[in-house]
Amino acid sequence: MTETSDKQPAPGAGTGPSQRDNLLEELRSDIKRLTTLSNRGLWAMSLFALVSMMAWRDFPLLPLPDSVTAALGAPPSPSMISLVLLLYTFSAIILSLSRMMAGIEHKSSFCHVGYLTGFFLFYHFAKALHDNYWAVFGAGITILSVESYRIWSYCREALVRKNEQLEFAKKHGRLPPEEQ
Amino acid sequence: MFKSLAGRALVPVGIAVTGFVVVCFLLLYSAIKNIVDRDSAVNATNLADTVLKSTRYAMLKNDYEILTTVISNVGQQKGVEHIRIFNKKGIINISTHPEELNRQVDKTAEGCIICHAGKDPVTTLGKMEQVRIFKNGRGEETISITTPIYNEPECSNAACHVHPAGQKVLGTLDIGLSRKSLLDSLASIRNQMVAFTLMILLLTVGGVTALLIRSVFQPLQKLSRLAQQAETDELPATPPSHFPRELDTIAQSLYNLNQKLRSARKDAETSGKNLDTPQ
Repeated sequence: MTETSDKQPAPGAGTGPSQRDNLLEELRSDIKRLTTLSNRGLWAMSLFALVSMMAWRDFPLLPLPDSVTAALGAPPSPSMISLVLLLYTFSAIILSLSRMMAGIEHKSSFCHVGYLTGFFLFYHFAKALHDNYWAVFGAGITILSVESYRIWSYCREALVRKNEQLEFAKKHGRLPPEEQ
Repeated sequence: MFKSLAGRALVPVGIAVTGFVVVCFLLLYSAIKNIVDRDSAVNATNLADTVLKSTRYAMLKNDYEILTTVISNVGQQKGVEHIRIFNKKGIINISTHPEELNRQVDKTAEGCIICHAGKDPVTTLGKMEQVRIFKNGRGEETISITTPIYNEPECSNAACHVHPAGQKVLGTLDIGLSRKSLLDSLASIRNQMVAFTLMILLLTVGGVTALLIRSVFQPLQKLSRLAQQAETDELPATPPSHFPRELDTIAQSLYNLNQKLRSARKDAETSGKNLDTPQ
């Protein structure tokens, strides 16, 4: 079948050397981008670990809760923050699983670190961080693990496909027929 | 692990369910602990009010004997760590621990430093803020409430003893309650919740795993074996059965294709052609 295709150029074949080089370059840059993207979840996890360490030490670089609440007003009650944390965790997991199911490339890991930092800060200013630290930490680890797995598995599948395309393009100077 | 269908299907579900159940457990335990702490603070405040009301008449009459008897009796109640009354200068006048009498209260003790940390002690505290939780000298967690004994017109006008009308606070009542039984109850709740959480996780993840293995992975393995048998032309004579509906269609198609290939091969053999070599 392959030999037949070589003898009878398929649509897209017969491209010039510059187009072939462009295609190879494009595929290589895609592979590089996907390789970088596959580590995104781990970077987000590392950043979250850093934020968690700061939270464990009661955010030594931030002003005291009393001075902040004096300026901004009373924070929401810890039970209200817990309710929102629960809803957020549920929604984030459902969203991540839906994206996994649909095979959507979405780079959302770092925004989750931002939301989780917000929860740490709200608990800190409500003076309830000590009681709820492990809940935020557990929520963060869960959401970021699912997100990391989603991004990693998406990139892994895409990398296998791109590598196959690259090998095909090196031999034939074009993409496989099913990709065109 | 991540290359197999089982790994791909079960890892994200396992992480998501386990994580969410653990977060729910932590938030629920935190909420229960807050409610229990608030209730214990309310109970301590009520006890302080009860002691103040019970001793009010004895204080008005300056009856030291009745006052010490009431305080001593309440102090013998289970879970009461200490009851002491000290004057404005911090000298302990009445206490359930006789060795403390006529001594200056240690302002640097863990229960006192909360208000006496600064240069000037905190004088106005809300009901809940009067409650302090700290570890006593024996390392046991104690909840303590400090209630000021205010000067009332009956006190300053009484003939028996002198309290100038301008003096706002006559002394302070300090009650300490052991939190041991409370902490034991919380530990018991925590252990039960951990056990329930583990059981829920085991049932959910185990149930999903068992169902997937039974309904998806085992039929897929069977289909894979069938495909291998079709490749080597060793398919059983009877059509494959006991597959779920979707996989049954594939298995039937595979069987029919194999049957057609067999009959085509037979026809070819009778007409002297070989189907296995490419034309």
